[in-house]
Amino acid sequence: MFSRSTACRGAQRAARQAAVRPSQRRGLAAPASGSFQYQSGEANGVKYASRDYAGPTTTLALVAKAGTRYQSLPGLTEGLQHFAFRSTERRSTLRIVRESELLGAQLSAYHTRENLVLEAKFLRDDLPYYVELFGEVAASTKYLPHVYLEEVLPMIHFAHKRFLADPLDMAINSAHSLAFHRGLGNPTASTSSHPYTKYLEADTIEWYSQFAYAKPNFALVANGAEHSELSKWTSEFFNGVPDKPAEQILAGTEQTKYYGGEERIAHDKANAFVIGFPGSSSFTGKFYKPEIAVLGSLLGGESSIKWSSGFSLLGNAKASPGTKVKTTSAIYSDAGLLYTAITGNAEYVAQTAKSTVELIQKIAAGEISQELFSKAKAAAKFKELEYGQDIAAGIVYTGSGLVSNNQAYQIDEVAKAIDGVTEETVKSAAKSLLEQKASVSAVGDLHVLPFAEDLGLKV
Amino acid sequence: MSAPSLAPYIMKRPWLHKWVAPLAKWYGNAAGYRQLGLRADDILPEENDVVQLALKRLPPKEAYDRVFRIRRAFQCSVSHQLLPKEEWTKVEDDTPYLTNIIKEIQVEMAEREDLEAMVITKRAANDASAKSAH
Repeated sequence: MFSRSTACRGAQRAARQAAVRPSQRRGLAAPASGSFQYQSGEANGVKYASRDYAGPTTTLALVAKAGTRYQSLPGLTEGLQHFAFRSTERRSTLRIVRESELLGAQLSAYHTRENLVLEAKFLRDDLPYYVELFGEVAASTKYLPHVYLEEVLPMIHFAHKRFLADPLDMAINSAHSLAFHRGLGNPTASTSSHPYTKYLEADTIEWYSQFAYAKPNFALVANGAEHSELSKWTSEFFNGVPDKPAEQILAGTEQTKYYGGEERIAHDKANAFVIGFPGSSSFTGKFYKPEIAVLGSLLGGESSIKWSSGFSLLGNAKASPGTKVKTTSAIYSDAGLLYTAITGNAEYVAQTAKSTVELIQKIAAGEISQELFSKAKAAAKFKELEYGQDIAAGIVYTGSGLVSNNQAYQIDEVAKAIDGVTEETVKSAAKSLLEQKASVSAVGDLHVLPFAEDLGLKV
Repeated sequence: MSAPSLAPYIMKRPWLHKWVAPLAKWYGNAAGYRQLGLRADDILPEENDVVQLALKRLPPKEAYDRVFRIRRAFQCSVSHQLLPKEEWTKVEDDTPYLTNIIKEIQVEMAEREDLEAMVITKRAANDASAKSAH
């Protein structure tokens, strides 16, 4: 039987530390010393950022530049994601799970197009335990063949099945691959079984992990942790991580280029139509265009207010209440995609797609009222600030900004940039969208869904 | 999976090891499985969950070789013959390829049992009393 001292080592340590330095603990009622801004720094070669706001919990994330964009073989990112928090040299999977359960924490791992994120949410006092755990996961996870076969492979297979059953996901991935070809265009889940029948093995995943978890390629981001604490534990626990990748993987690192085009995929489940245009990079990137965010919220589609179709152009123009429309400005480190996704009944989807293009033409011609424009600007600003406050999104953007462009995502400045957008810039942005090639993807009933040409788009 | 073994006790004492080793060597050859081309790990009882899981975790090449050895030995046994002498299993080939995996699985299972049986005491409040509790 385990003695208590081994089973709850982390818990005990956290308790002891708090006891030694009671002054560093802050109760709920005390005013926050931190702000909305991230403080960033580097300890022992590891980049980290933290934001200290009052509250008893902390969210800690390891953001690695190892999203699907950077994978040199299909499926590597997914493989690495599912290997997170598995057996390490020091602890077994089960022990990691049980210890975290005892501390009442949540562990998760997910990936986006550019980043692989390992995330832990826990009580403030447990910070050292989780920094240590992240250091261990990054440095000494055991990539065993039987773990891959028994635990990782089934998860990748499920993700593949889920992807095939979701026309909207297929359409969005297809639009990305039309827009960016390789790199950012890589699908976020396996589109076929090729990745895991042909390319993926425990050894290849281990090889990729040495790249993903090398010091220049990841950052630690914490919400609700003291900066000095994070710095201290980071410098202590990340010694096992390689200082630089053993082998530079160049896949996905070149400047993203926009291509555009059209793809049509038959699907018998539902209909999805995505119209994409070149968008804005993230604030930390070089091609940041705040007017794209305003244009996105002007087109909109989803209402943010109950019992109303909302002010947005598409919210009012959609063909039926059952048709779902959403305009998203997807931002990445060096490029972006502004896309409108439409799902629902095939006829209505076709009509809505047609009105989408008409509306963009209308914006370009300047036939939009001042009032609508200011509403869109306010909505865009709110969305941006709310997004920044939202811990998950803030973490991913900050980590990605730190790794790719060496600066944290500063939400206040983004909001300021949106304030500076004028009607004129939105108009010219809309005009430039129509001049460039669009990325159009139709999934579903191809007999009804229109071609890009019919909508008046260039592909 | 296995009966209690004296081996670790003996291995720790070089003088005893020196004395027992020739005996063990003689016994290994006299047991007769090497004359059928088998390895010691091929004749472990496999009708239990641990060994079944270990067999699943064998690398494909080793799993294939194992099945080949067992079928060959079965044929020999049925026809009341031994393999030609050059095909007998050599002592250096008689490696514990399966036992290692079985041990790993047993450690895993033991850890699970231990964690299940763990007695949890509530963490002492984060104040000075925490220090004295330890």
